[in-house]
Amino acid sequence: MKPPREIVQTILQEIRGSLGRIYRSIFRGSYPATLRQQLIVVVNNLVLHVHPTRVFRRSIRPAGTFGLGLICFYLFVIEWITGVYLMFYYEPSVSAAYGRIQDLDSVVTFGRLVRNVHRWGAEAMVVFVVLHMCRVFYTGAYKPPREFNWVLGVILFLLTLALSFTGYLLPWDQLSFWAVTVGTNIAGYAPVLGPKFRFLLLGGDTVGGEALLRFYTLHVIAVPTVAALLINYHIWRVIKDGGLARPPRQESQSAEGVVPTFPLVVYMELLVFVGLTVGLLVVSLLFNAPLEEEATPLQPNNPAKAPWYFLGLQELVSYSAFWGGVMVPTVLTLFLLALPYIDRRPDGVGEWFARKRLGMIILWSLLLTGVVVTILIGVYFRGPNWNFYWPWNPWPGAD
Amino acid sequence: MDEVEKIERWLILACLLLTAVLGWAAWDASTQEWEGYQESYYRLALLRASSEAQKEWVRAQPVEIKQLEPKEHRSVERCITCHLAVDNPMFRDAPEPFRAHSSLLTSHPAQRFGCVVCHGGEGRAVTTLEGHGQGNIRAKPLLRGEYMQAACYSCHGEASLSPKAVAAVVRGRQLVNRYLCLGCHQIRGVGGEEGPDLSAVGSNRSWLWLYAHLARPQAIVVGSTMPVFLLPRAEIKDITIYLTTLLDSRDRFRSPTPAAEQRTKSYQGEEPNEEAEKGKENIPENTSAEKFRYDGALLFHGAGCSLCHSIGNRGGEVGPALTYIGRKRKSEELERLLRDPEEILPGGKMPQLYLNDEQIKTLAAYLSALQ
Repeated sequence: MKPPREIVQTILQEIRGSLGRIYRSIFRGSYPATLRQQLIVVVNNLVLHVHPTRVFRRSIRPAGTFGLGLICFYLFVIEWITGVYLMFYYEPSVSAAYGRIQDLDSVVTFGRLVRNVHRWGAEAMVVFVVLHMCRVFYTGAYKPPREFNWVLGVILFLLTLALSFTGYLLPWDQLSFWAVTVGTNIAGYAPVLGPKFRFLLLGGDTVGGEALLRFYTLHVIAVPTVAALLINYHIWRVIKDGGLARPPRQESQSAEGVVPTFPLVVYMELLVFVGLTVGLLVVSLLFNAPLEEEATPLQPNNPAKAPWYFLGLQELVSYSAFWGGVMVPTVLTLFLLALPYIDRRPDGVGEWFARKRLGMIILWSLLLTGVVVTILIGVYFRGPNWNFYWPWNPWPGAD
Repeated sequence: MDEVEKIERWLILACLLLTAVLGWAAWDASTQEWEGYQESYYRLALLRASSEAQKEWVRAQPVEIKQLEPKEHRSVERCITCHLAVDNPMFRDAPEPFRAHSSLLTSHPAQRFGCVVCHGGEGRAVTTLEGHGQGNIRAKPLLRGEYMQAACYSCHGEASLSPKAVAAVVRGRQLVNRYLCLGCHQIRGVGGEEGPDLSAVGSNRSWLWLYAHLARPQAIVVGSTMPVFLLPRAEIKDITIYLTTLLDSRDRFRSPTPAAEQRTKSYQGEEPNEEAEKGKENIPENTSAEKFRYDGALLFHGAGCSLCHSIGNRGGEVGPALTYIGRKRKSEELERLLRDPEEILPGGKMPQLYLNDEQIKTLAAYLSALQ
């Protein structure tokens, strides 16, 4: 009879042995301990393969990028997963949609939580995509040879807005109905093509059953597929364009300026993912996604506000439909798309707020401030009939 | 490799945090208000059971969401998830939410009509605040007391019911005519075009909203051009009850076929208001079964108080501001006022809100603490 301690040891060894066998059956080989093995891990793994085998040490400093692009990608994945869960319960018809959302909020297991994660994740995605864009601008990372990846990024930003906006209608409550009515009206202000585009988007002249079906199809299939493909392209281009932007002739080319991607970078990326998931779950447990009463086309909300990211445009539209609905969005989009081909000087690449780029930095900051300020006015300072009011005053009226 | 170890440690910490948050989520999803009610009900049912067979039956009942899918109404109603005793004769004298329904249930089988068509409220919800329409100001509040006449009337019409059962609706309709409401508003194609069409106003607005708006339109709709009519409370109430009967086709239950008319006729002779009157005298005391705790601030903004009254800078302007009401009124006075406004403020505007005892106590305690 063996002493009990030995028996425990044997059992533990058995467990370790079988875990090791399972590990080897999946990953083909033991834990990679040598540099050579660690490099091979990255090359031989389908997912990790988007990384280079080694990265510059300065590329993985948290303050270099704040992981913003990574967070955008993770948010897209989280939206995908929660979206599939919601699709099991949702029905895109005028008579059923609102009830389905009520069911999600009241009786579906984890329904409310998943809907909250999907909603707050979507809003966070718009914010983080803009922050990512600002990071790329302020570090001059759009300059040659990365011009085209910036263009891809701008398209992805527009797709993010499209995803968020098409999803906005689906609960079919007063908030979503009137927000989409206002949002598509802004699109309709464009000359000649505007009204046609609006008709095509809504499948009619007003928001109704056809619009709901179109927005649903765009939201769950059309836009996500295009976005997923472009995200892959966008990430692949990061390596092809020579990794993250960094100043030329840096001493980092030397041996100690480089670390193997596995395990350090992979672990860091996992850490960002877990942290983001925890944050999003906590927010979703504390705050519920809004749901007003069922959409009634004859009883407009006062004021009817577009989704918050379009409220800057709505604020401008309240002064001039042409400037807010046509000129400003068109010029801004064209400016974003053309930016890397206009500003081609190789100054300040990979450096935050480089002195030599002072003009461009001021220009971008002014544009950003303008967008943020008009959005804040639209969200917090506009009461019934789009009248100005201070947010600390009582909301006039009960509606 | 201590760099990697540092990250590993952070990663382990983050994973522990994630596990904790997932545990929180699971706990959050598994603690439901209605589960408490169901467990209380089955405990009470076990006490009241007279035979061993009945006890066996009670023990076999699962704790689960229960719902009605009324045949003549395209909706799902989950009221019976908490109100389990509606068809249990042993609970005839039990306190809500476990009181058995009056005999009206035999002529209005729940499987066919559901609950919402008579009682109002939000049938899909499974919490008191949302189901009873008290969670937010745009919700659908329950119809209580005389307001239930609106429900009787919108299916049966006037002819097939006793005059007493639709008295408030008829008075309301007469008032709408006397005050020439149709000079500005349209109802089913008759009337002016100055104000909004009221043909389906009962579907679009709750009775609380209508009441507050009739008392002072500008406090509810900014810049409304509707005059302030300074009507007495009883008249506001009657007009509100009549407007509540004006439903759109989605909410209207009555189908205009001759068969339906025939069915309506066969229900004659019922006294639909009997249960509502009885319920008013016999508001049940708080029992151990009543686990749910009301929140004073939520009730104030949800039950309709904030439509007329303000606290701080939130709320309406129809009634007096209540920011410092605790300096002026004691809790007991507020309770009496909330129970029957007509007794304290005869001829005033404050409506009878038909709150239950617990709600009245919570609200009075909340208000009297505002110093």
